[in-house]
Amino acid sequence: MKKVIQFTLNGNEVSAELESHKMLLEVLRDTFEMTGTKEGCGQGECGTCTVIIDGVSIKSCLYPVFEVEGKSVTTIEGLVGEGGKLHPIQEAFVEKGGIQCGFCSPGMILSAKALLDETWTPSDNEIKRAISGNLCRCTGYVQIIDSIRDAATRLSNQDPK
Amino acid sequence: MKKFDYYQPESLNEAYRLMEENEGRARYIAGGTDIIWRIKQGVIKADALISLRRIRPLEGITRNGGLTLGSMALFRNIEKDSSIARDYPSLTQAVSILANPQVRNVATVGGNLCNGAPSADSVPPLMVLEAVLTIEGPGGRREVPIGNFFTGPGQSCMDRTEILTQIKIPKKVFNSGSAFLKKGRVSQDIAVVNAAAFLVMEGKICRKCRLAVGAVAPVPLRLTNIEEMVEGREIDPELLDRVGEMVERAVSPITDVRSTENWRRVMSGVLVKRAIQKAHKMVD
Repeated sequence: MKKVIQFTLNGNEVSAELESHKMLLEVLRDTFEMTGTKEGCGQGECGTCTVIIDGVSIKSCLYPVFEVEGKSVTTIEGLVGEGGKLHPIQEAFVEKGGIQCGFCSPGMILSAKALLDETWTPSDNEIKRAISGNLCRCTGYVQIIDSIRDAATRLSNQDPK
Repeated sequence: MKKFDYYQPESLNEAYRLMEENEGRARYIAGGTDIIWRIKQGVIKADALISLRRIRPLEGITRNGGLTLGSMALFRNIEKDSSIARDYPSLTQAVSILANPQVRNVATVGGNLCNGAPSADSVPPLMVLEAVLTIEGPGGRREVPIGNFFTGPGQSCMDRTEILTQIKIPKKVFNSGSAFLKKGRVSQDIAVVNAAAFLVMEGKICRKCRLAVGAVAPVPLRLTNIEEMVEGREIDPELLDRVGEMVERAVSPITDVRSTENWRRVMSGVLVKRAIQKAHKMVD
């Protein structure tokens, strides 16, 4: 079964004829060639495929693509500003060593963004809860938590509420 | 991944019609966080999925004295509802450590129930809160107490065309408290054991007791015998020890990758005791 699906991808209206059994993850990578979103386990455990839909984080490996019709999707590609300028969360991850091999980073950064879109003053416990659906096999999480704390500071300094 | 058709009806009647047209090849899908994974694993075969996400009346959370959850209410929205946290803390405790944020943003309470997992975290609180489930189908509507819903691992009393539409929880009574506890390697894991307790107290005496334990039998268990033993008594260490012993005898756990049969049995006693103590502290 095929259908034309329309949605907003990183701020741009897109549409494509898609098969009904596809998950959003495959469509992002194969149809739209946005390979920043990674497939890890494919079972909803590891969180590398995390994207943001209408403001909330989801695992795109378990998200039937027909459900994305009319919605707004943000992937890691959508965080980069003009001229390739990194998002403050990305800058914080680079500077604080939140990135090692990099495979978990897109998902980790989008989970951080979902948190920081709600609050710029998260407690360490809130940060840990926010990334509890994302696995990292390199950092031991300490630097990632540092990075998110630092990103919160950057965001609040950049645009005080 | 195996191919399947994907339908998105906007009403219950349209959903029933699609299910009848696709008899034997279709399944309903809610948030899909479990069923999609199981289709990928080949554990479930489906040639067509009928999504309930566009049936808007199934989404709501309404307070009408009690609490009515639409079956498609997201765990995220249940977790963040401050009136649920105030009146039904055991439910909030369960859904706030269920899976992980990305799953709670998509998964629904109805989906969790219809999966029929003996370990489903939303079930023990709904059992002790005496939830009643509304099930609708082409043949009409019926109401089933949650204790009669599960018939085996992955199985419920619903037939293939029926849809769970609402979960109704009675009004909170005064001098009551409820609590949920879960044992896993980390809290978001599938439970090794989970348990919930609900108490109504009159001074030191327990007037009403409801207990449930999950992941230690083919279906989540209400512990009716033990409830009766607790009612009319003071909650003291002696009583709690007897509760623990009785729970160990009531459960029939298995050994699997997450735990051994014996550990589950011992922990189910410990968890029910602690859930009673925690619910007792929550009494207002």
